[in-house]
Amino acid sequence: MQNEQEFSKAEKFWMNFKLYQLWRFIVLNVKIYTIAVQSKFH
Amino acid sequence: MAKVLVIGAGFAGHTTALYLGNKLGRQHEITVMSNRDVFGYVPSWVWVGVGHMKPEQTIFKLKPVYDRMHVKFVHAAAKEIHPDASDQYVLGEEIGSGKEVRLDYDYLVIAPGPLLNFAGTPGLGPETGFTHSICSLPHAVKTRDAYLALCERMKKGEKVKIVIGTGHPGATCQGAAFEYIVNVHKDLLKKGLRDKADILWLSNEPELGDFGVNGVQIKRNGIVQKSSEFIKSVFNDHGIRYQVQTGVTKVEEGKIHWQNYEGEEGATDFDFSMLIPQFKGQPFKYIGKDGSDVSSKMVNPAGFVLVDGKYGLPYPELSQTPEAWPAQYNNPTYPNVFAAGIAFAPPGPISKPFTNKNSLLIAPAPPRTGMVSGVIGRVVAMNIADLIQTGKMNHSERMTEMVAACIASMGDNLWDGNAVTIVMRPVVPDRKKYSNEFGRDLFISHLEMGVSGAWMKFMLHYTFIWKFKGLFGWKLIPE
Repeated sequence: MQNEQEFSKAEKFWMNFKLYQLWRFIVLNVKIYTIAVQSKFH
Repeated sequence: MAKVLVIGAGFAGHTTALYLGNKLGRQHEITVMSNRDVFGYVPSWVWVGVGHMKPEQTIFKLKPVYDRMHVKFVHAAAKEIHPDASDQYVLGEEIGSGKEVRLDYDYLVIAPGPLLNFAGTPGLGPETGFTHSICSLPHAVKTRDAYLALCERMKKGEKVKIVIGTGHPGATCQGAAFEYIVNVHKDLLKKGLRDKADILWLSNEPELGDFGVNGVQIKRNGIVQKSSEFIKSVFNDHGIRYQVQTGVTKVEEGKIHWQNYEGEEGATDFDFSMLIPQFKGQPFKYIGKDGSDVSSKMVNPAGFVLVDGKYGLPYPELSQTPEAWPAQYNNPTYPNVFAAGIAFAPPGPISKPFTNKNSLLIAPAPPRTGMVSGVIGRVVAMNIADLIQTGKMNHSERMTEMVAACIASMGDNLWDGNAVTIVMRPVVPDRKKYSNEFGRDLFISHLEMGVSGAWMKFMLHYTFIWKFKGLFGWKLIPE
């Protein structure tokens, strides 16, 4: 964040840049799936 | 043959039933008693509430699923629970015929979801009050109709005031209200009506982005970022005004009365409002063998089932005692009675409670929905299977150990939609295990906004409905 009040132009760009977001989609899916599956072994 | 009875078929009860059916259904009698014969995928009701998803896309019939999973389904509303040994049964009323149903059990899981306590705030709610709710499917449909009617007024040039948030000083589920307010903003933008609406976030949170879990904190590039700053940026970016530290005390037509931390009393005008009510436990009767009321052994004053947590600790002590949170979710007096999801009594709040000078307690209750409900449902099912097969429980997961992921929708369009992806470990801070001031794993905890979140939210809708239908590979999909 640019400061405590608003998102910067760069942040907004990356939030909507589809190729980067596709990468984040894959990364977040892997991350969430991995940690959620760990929970099954409790 | 053991008899296991599950009351409720929401995230917690249905997850319990799926695992029990899968593990024990062929050899033992697994029964679900629910007053609804459909499963409702609650996270998507936020889209129903703005008219972006048809209600029927969020539900499916339970009986065909249970038939495949070797689970018996009884469409009835539970009324009385008789927990004393050698006399253990539940009485219910069959939906439709009104006939009394008696189901005996060896193990009982109470997971009926919350009682939406609109009566806790005079004038709140869609049935006898002036506000709307997205906490049930009929409510979400009614909210959609009212919202679309409001849009028609705006199209004629009328300027309106929209208030969204929590409708009780002790309400929870701020996350759902947050999703709804941002979806309303986005929908109005698309309709070209945003300039006609003044939108206000009104909440009992100690600060923005608290969500009843003491906020979310992450570490990015060595710097700790907090959800309070993040959500403030979202609201500023969207032109949404906000008022936190506020407990709604009464609603009249077009006017919401509240008190804040300072003890000031005020009123906010509205044309349309969606406020989440206080949640309470379902008002079952708990009756002993001799006909006496055994409620005090089973539930707390709010009707939530007492389980293996440590109750009565003051907040400063509770926040330093992760082991106070329940691990196996069974009742200490009646150990064969379990509670899952909203139904179990938490030992206290996660966010710091506040009592103002008028003695009004403003304290978000701990959220126990979604992933948390599902995980508890699984732990309970596995332990019941353990007890039946080996005589002892081998599974446990406290909310101070649990990881939770939440995708907060901010527009459902796959091209220009948006969502905040939130990951927290643990849900309830554990200040003994994690040495930072937040009691969280700052490496795992995550907060990110982007169109990828909208894709994930969309994907989760279909993935989870697949899982809850018990279709091929359902167990591979985490709760």
